[in-house]
Amino acid sequence: MNDYRLILFLLAALFSVWAVMARRLLTSAIMLALVSVTVSLIFFDYGAPWAGVFELSVCAGLITVLFVGAVSLIRAADEQNPENRSRFHALPLVLAAFAIASWYYLPAFFAELSAWARPGTGGGTIGLALWDMRRPDLLGQILMLAAGVFVIKSVFPRRNEK
Amino acid sequence: MDKGLLAYLIIPLFAAVVIPFAARNRPRLADVLANVTLLAGLANLAWLALRPSMIAGGFADIPGDGFSLLLVAAIYLVALCVTFFSAWFIEEGLPNRQAYYSLILVSVAAMTGVVTTSDFFTLYVFVEVLAVTSFALITTDESAGGIEGALKYFFLTFPASALIIVGLSILMMTLGSLSYENLRIFMSSDIPSGPVTFAAALMLLGFVIKSGVVPFHAWTPDAYQGAYAPVSAHLAGIVTKISGVYAIVKIATLLRFFDGRATAVSEMLMFLGLLSIVVGALAALKQTSFKRMLAFSSISQVGYIVLAAGLGTPLAIMGAVFHLFNHATFKTVLFLNSASLEKAAGTTDMDKLGGMEHPMPWTSWTSVIALLSTAGVPPLSGFWSKLLIILALWESGLRTYAVVALLFSIVTLAYFMIMQRKVFFGRKSAAAESASEVSAPLLAPAVLMSAVIVAVGLLFPYFYTYVRVVAERIIL
Repeated sequence: MNDYRLILFLLAALFSVWAVMARRLLTSAIMLALVSVTVSLIFFDYGAPWAGVFELSVCAGLITVLFVGAVSLIRAADEQNPENRSRFHALPLVLAAFAIASWYYLPAFFAELSAWARPGTGGGTIGLALWDMRRPDLLGQILMLAAGVFVIKSVFPRRNEK
Repeated sequence: MDKGLLAYLIIPLFAAVVIPFAARNRPRLADVLANVTLLAGLANLAWLALRPSMIAGGFADIPGDGFSLLLVAAIYLVALCVTFFSAWFIEEGLPNRQAYYSLILVSVAAMTGVVTTSDFFTLYVFVEVLAVTSFALITTDESAGGIEGALKYFFLTFPASALIIVGLSILMMTLGSLSYENLRIFMSSDIPSGPVTFAAALMLLGFVIKSGVVPFHAWTPDAYQGAYAPVSAHLAGIVTKISGVYAIVKIATLLRFFDGRATAVSEMLMFLGLLSIVVGALAALKQTSFKRMLAFSSISQVGYIVLAAGLGTPLAIMGAVFHLFNHATFKTVLFLNSASLEKAAGTTDMDKLGGMEHPMPWTSWTSVIALLSTAGVPPLSGFWSKLLIILALWESGLRTYAVVALLFSIVTLAYFMIMQRKVFFGRKSAAAESASEVSAPLLAPAVLMSAVIVAVGLLFPYFYTYVRVVAERIIL
C-alpha cells in the first residue's frame, strides 16, 4: 500500500473515532464530514470517480449542512443536558487492540483472498451501471428515500406536540 | 428480479406516497386507502395461485419459483390483517396516522423487494429499508418500552448489516458477481468453495442476528414487547421472518447443503436452530407477560425453520417454507389477540389476567386455534410443517435432533396451555369483571387468520403439492 493511501486510511479512522468521542455535537458533525472527504479521496484514488463525487457532494456536503443546521437548532438544550461520555473512554483502547490485530492478520488474509479473486462483471459508464446492471437497486433507493420521509413525518409531529 | 411480481412492490409504494396528500384533511381516508391497496393485491394473488385450472394442473404454471409468490401472499395477508386491525385500534388523536400507514406500505414494498430479487446487494438494500421502517413503527405510541425496543433493534441489527456487507464484498471479490444464479452455478461445480462459502457464512451470520436466533436474540423480546400493539403482530408475524429467516432459507438452498457442500456452515446452522428451539421454549415457560412469552415462542419457532434450512434436503426445505408461512399465520393471531387483550383489560400481564374467556370468547378461541397450530397439534397447519421437518431430520439419520425437536413441540404446548389457563380459563380476575369483547372489526383479522390455519391444515394435500413445486424449483 502506498503512503498516500495509508495516510488517507489512517485519517479516516482518526476522524471516525473523533466523531464518536467529541463532546460537542457540532465537532461530531464536522468530523463526520471530514471522514466523508477522506473516504471520497480514497474512492478517487481507487479509480471510482463517481463514487467519490457522490460521497463528497451528498455525505460531506448535503448531510453536513443538515447536521450543522439541526445541531444549531438544539444547541441550547444540548448544553443544558450534557451526555455522560465516560463509557466512550474505552473506545480508543478497543480500537488500538483491533488495529494491532488487523495489522498482523488482515494483510495476510487479503493476500490469500486475492488468489481466489475473479474479475467482476462491471465497468462502463455510471448510466450503464445504474440503468442496465443495477436497476432494481434504484427501486430500493427510492424506497429508502420514501421510508426516510415517512420516518420524519412520523416522528416530528410528536416532538412538536410535546 | 421477478418482474411478474414487480407490481406488488410498486403499487404499495405508490399508495404510500399518495396517502399523506389524499388523507391530509380526512385522516380516516388513510385507513381506507391502505386496506384497499392490500386487499386488491391479495385478491390478485389469490387469482394467480388459487384459480381452478392452476390447482388442477398441480401448480405447474405458477410464475417464478413459487416461493416468492407464497411469501408475497403471506406479506399481504399479514399486512392486511394489521392495517384492518389498526383502523379500529389507533386512537383518533394520533397525529401521524397517515405516516403510520405509509410506513406499513413501504415495509410491504420492501418485503416484496426482498423476496422477489435475485441479487444479494439488492436484497441488502431492501433489508435496510425494512430496518428503517421497523425502527419508526416500533415507536409509534412513543412509550418508553417502544423507544427502548426500537433502539435495541437498531443497535443489535446494525452489526448484522455490517457482517452482511463484509460478506457481500468478499463474495463480489471471489465470485465476481452477486447474483443468486452465479452462486448456484459455482456451488454445483467441482471448484473448491473456499472463500465463497466463508462470504456466505458471514452473510448467514448477519441474517441469523436479524432473525433473532439464539444466542443473538437479545433484541427480540424487548422489540416485540415494547412495540405499538399492532406493530408487534407486523414485526413478529412477517417482518423479521422476511428480513432474516427468508434469506437464511434462500442461502441454504444456494449453498446446496443437500449436496454435502458447505457442511460446516450447515451443521452450525442446524445447531443454532436447535439451540433456539430449546432456549426459546424454556424461556417462554417462565414469562409472565403475554407479549414477551409470544416473543420467546417466536424465537423457538424460528429455530425450527433455521434447523430445517440448515439440513437443506428437499423435504426439510419443504418443511421450512411451510413453517415460515404457518408462523406468519399463527403468530399474527396471537399478537393481535394480545393487542385486543391490552385494549379490553388494559394489561398483558398474565398474573393480572384470568377468566378472560367469559368476556372475550372469540379472542379466547382464536388463541386456542393458533396455539394448537404452533404446538403442532393435528390437523392444524402447524402440525404438517413440523411433521415434515421432523421426518426430514429422521430420514437424514439425525435422530437426536428429531427427538429434541419433537420433545420441544410438547414443551410449546405446555407453555401455551399455561398461558391459556392463566389468561382465558380459570377464575375470573378483576380485569375480567370489567372487560368486554372487542368490536367485530378488531376480531375479524384474528378470525380470518384462524380460518386460514384450519383451512391450510385440512386442505394439506393441495398445499403439499404447492410446497413440493417450490422445493423442486428452488433446489434444482
